[in-house]
Amino acid sequence: MVKQAIILAAGEGRRLRPFTVNRPKAMISIAHKPILQYVIEALAQNGVLDIVLVVGYRKEQVFDHIGSGEQLGVNITYVTQAEQLGTAHALLQAREVAADEFLVMSGDKLIEADTVARFIETAPPAVLVKKVPDPVRYGVVSIDERGMVKSIVEKPKVAETNIANTGIYAFSREVFDFAAEVLDIPDALNNMISSGRNILAVETTGVRLDVVYPWDILSLNEAVIRRVPLGLGGVIESGVSLRGRVTVGQDTVIRANSTIVGPVVIGSGCDIGPNACILPATSIGDNVTVSAFTALQNSVIGNDVNIGPGCIIQDSVIGRGCVIKGHFTACTGQAEVKVNGEYHQVNLGAMLGEGCNLGNSVVAQPGAILGNNCQVQALKLVAGRLPDKSLVV
Amino acid sequence: MCGIVGYIGRRQAQPVLFNCLSKLEYRGYDSCGIALLGDSIQVCKDEVRVKALEKALPPIAGLAGIGHTRWATHGEPSRANAHPHCDCTGRIAVVHNGVISNFQRLKDKLISTGHVFASETDTEVLPHLIESYYQGDLEEAVERSLADIEGSYAIIAVVAGEAKLVVARKDSPLIIGIGDRENFVASDVPAILDYTSRVVYLEDGDIALVTADGVRVRENGARIDRAEHLIQWSVADAQKSGYEHFMLKEIHEQPRVIRDTLREYISADGLAAEVIPSGEGGLENMLIAACGTSYHAALIGKYIIEQLVRVPVKVELASEFNYCGQVPPGSNALVITQSGETADALKTMKKLKEAGCQVLAITNVVGSTASRIADHVIYTRAGPEISVAATKSFISQLVALYWMALPHARVDLRTLDELIMELRQLPARVQEVLDNEAAIREHARRLARFNDVFFIGRGANYPVALEGALKLKEVSYIHAEGYAAGELKHGPFALLGAEAPVVAILASDHTGEAMLTSIKEIRARKSPLIAVVEEGNEAAGEIADSAIIVPRVNQVFSPVINTVALQLLAYYAARERGCPIDFPRNLAKSVTVE
Repeated sequence: MVKQAIILAAGEGRRLRPFTVNRPKAMISIAHKPILQYVIEALAQNGVLDIVLVVGYRKEQVFDHIGSGEQLGVNITYVTQAEQLGTAHALLQAREVAADEFLVMSGDKLIEADTVARFIETAPPAVLVKKVPDPVRYGVVSIDERGMVKSIVEKPKVAETNIANTGIYAFSREVFDFAAEVLDIPDALNNMISSGRNILAVETTGVRLDVVYPWDILSLNEAVIRRVPLGLGGVIESGVSLRGRVTVGQDTVIRANSTIVGPVVIGSGCDIGPNACILPATSIGDNVTVSAFTALQNSVIGNDVNIGPGCIIQDSVIGRGCVIKGHFTACTGQAEVKVNGEYHQVNLGAMLGEGCNLGNSVVAQPGAILGNNCQVQALKLVAGRLPDKSLVV
Repeated sequence: MCGIVGYIGRRQAQPVLFNCLSKLEYRGYDSCGIALLGDSIQVCKDEVRVKALEKALPPIAGLAGIGHTRWATHGEPSRANAHPHCDCTGRIAVVHNGVISNFQRLKDKLISTGHVFASETDTEVLPHLIESYYQGDLEEAVERSLADIEGSYAIIAVVAGEAKLVVARKDSPLIIGIGDRENFVASDVPAILDYTSRVVYLEDGDIALVTADGVRVRENGARIDRAEHLIQWSVADAQKSGYEHFMLKEIHEQPRVIRDTLREYISADGLAAEVIPSGEGGLENMLIAACGTSYHAALIGKYIIEQLVRVPVKVELASEFNYCGQVPPGSNALVITQSGETADALKTMKKLKEAGCQVLAITNVVGSTASRIADHVIYTRAGPEISVAATKSFISQLVALYWMALPHARVDLRTLDELIMELRQLPARVQEVLDNEAAIREHARRLARFNDVFFIGRGANYPVALEGALKLKEVSYIHAEGYAAGELKHGPFALLGAEAPVVAILASDHTGEAMLTSIKEIRARKSPLIAVVEEGNEAAGEIADSAIIVPRVNQVFSPVINTVALQLLAYYAARERGCPIDFPRNLAKSVTVE
């Protein structure tokens, strides 16, 4: 059985900006934990305790949060990929510390413990695949009658099969010789096949969720939040109504007459209410203040955020350290959002980058995306995409 | 200043001792040694770091032993002066942290009765004294020896043939770690966290007998039960978690440290107001005493209190106050010490208590000596700080000072609300400084080639200039001086020029304009100038050659933000120069001797 996993967590995730300006994609927080932590926990549950983390872009964020791995019950070795050239190149950085056999996966895609459980029994080399409705977005895998991979074609115009590569592999050290020749792992796999290696395709039906665009944070949050372990820390004042799955961290105060309808996760050291309304599928970070008469719904709030009184925030992501004065409105609605030149039709509230400062009674149009450290004066309407450090006067 | 460890139990002691010692190198590292206990005693020591000695030694069997890592006080670093020290027969070995002030008299007496000394240390009198009293019971011999001794000590003694450690402390820190059929002794908690989190803190005057199966503590000859504490720190806190140096790891921990410290205070609602009653005898005329980096926190504390509460505050260096410092009787006093073991600060506390003061302590170590002497303790939640250069403990001390001053602030309630809101936002603002690390690194690269640097600031940012200079000199060995900007022209101007860059902290408060004048004067002397300026005030920074941009905060909190920027500047300058950042030469973490 495989005992080691090499997790690739060096990537930036440009389409997720502004949330990846200061952190790698793997450190995007979902239901109060970074994606990478879910990946490590799924491995730890299956006894894979020797973890090699390939870090690069904004690696300090990984160090600060994951540390030595002791808190998660695993032993972590860090290796650095100085330039993010590709997945095979990232894997190659771990050559010195790799065991004889190991798993390889991405640190920015959620994975279930069951999926890992079945795969670790497989003898390398092997690749985990999954049937999907829209294979052209992925690497499309062709499989022969013995269940061996014939080829992987990245994002083809026409897909030969509906089987997609999940990016989870089991390898022996032999892979490094092939990885040294190319930049991405699928290319290394194709080369292994053409030099006569048999690579087993193992099919999974497990959920595998990815964040590609900022609004994916919301759907991922909704999918994961139901599984957060229950716990009520801190002080719940009188008249507070708690329904459904609600988790409240240590030293948090929920003030009188607030209503919280789960699934909701609230971090530690927060000050919520009085008369606040936290509605389903909302995650709140640590040290967050939510003032009186504010309603939050299906949103993700980062650490150290201060939300003033009388705000309505729906289907929104609020980055770490934002200060929002009273009566901010970010209501959900149909929006056309442009990311990297592509247009997407989504139902969305607003996306606020880190450290934004909003005056009283600001209104965000559906789909507004504010970069980091934007300043918006009172009574302004914000719409579309604002670059980092924009000033709205 | 030294670190000592002891082990007795079911494992081979040698690797355990070395592992524990490696965690104590912040207390000293000019030489080290171990002694393994069996039917005889085997001592191995040298003037090298712990890792080097560990590598050089073959495995030596033994289920018990003691170890020491040294920071020289009596006698230069050398193999002879390294601990453990033995008696004439080589059957008794002792490790010691502290200073024996009457050692010369004891040594002369012992020599006259035929004892032969091998080192120049004060410690060596201990094994010889124990030898002279030893009649088959080590504990009794240690007790009788300590009665002869004046000064401070934490010691572990062993004798060949007796499977036990005898430990004792007075005015030097010592803890016992409780394991399963094994026990540990160490100067500080991180040393033993790999093995156990159950800890007993010894009190002054305690003598303990430690065997594999148990610990028996006696105070003045009477058996006493000392409470066992469960340490919440994890080993992870004592490791580098991917970072190259503890200093950078600890700088990066600061947002979390501020959050944890505030969380503790906010959840204990009203703590500060209870500790210091408002009105008469409150913060007015309070004396704040501290040493080193904590002294800079104390100076900033003066500005915080004087600005927010508008009452006078006095700040003293603890090491100087002990000579002839005076306080009005009955007033409040505050002593700041990260370790809670700084000898000068402890002496000040005792002196203040004798003068009838209510003594408050801000410390990072629960159960430390300072926390036991003080009438009230405000704990910071920085966790163990390994890097010799203090970073996160300093920031957490500032948070404690803000929290202490805010309930007394003479501002309207709306402003107070806003100040508290901004205080809670500080973790995010500090993170923004850290996210800007790459830019600060570029400034550090340029700074690293100079040999003299001046730091200037005004108001609350004057102590920040002192702290910035201290950080730079201690880790990068660049000669650095901090000045109040107005004082530069009273002398130091003579040293300015193209080879003496100036780092100017340009706050956007009432000191801003005067700072601009200072900067123009410096520019006229051709000194390269790095300005630390707030976002939105970039225009002011343009007068300088280059500017470090920091996030905008309420001016009361600007020392926090500016200090973090200067910490990074010092770290990267030291890295550029290839300095041993976590263990700078001649320095030790907490100074438990005067």
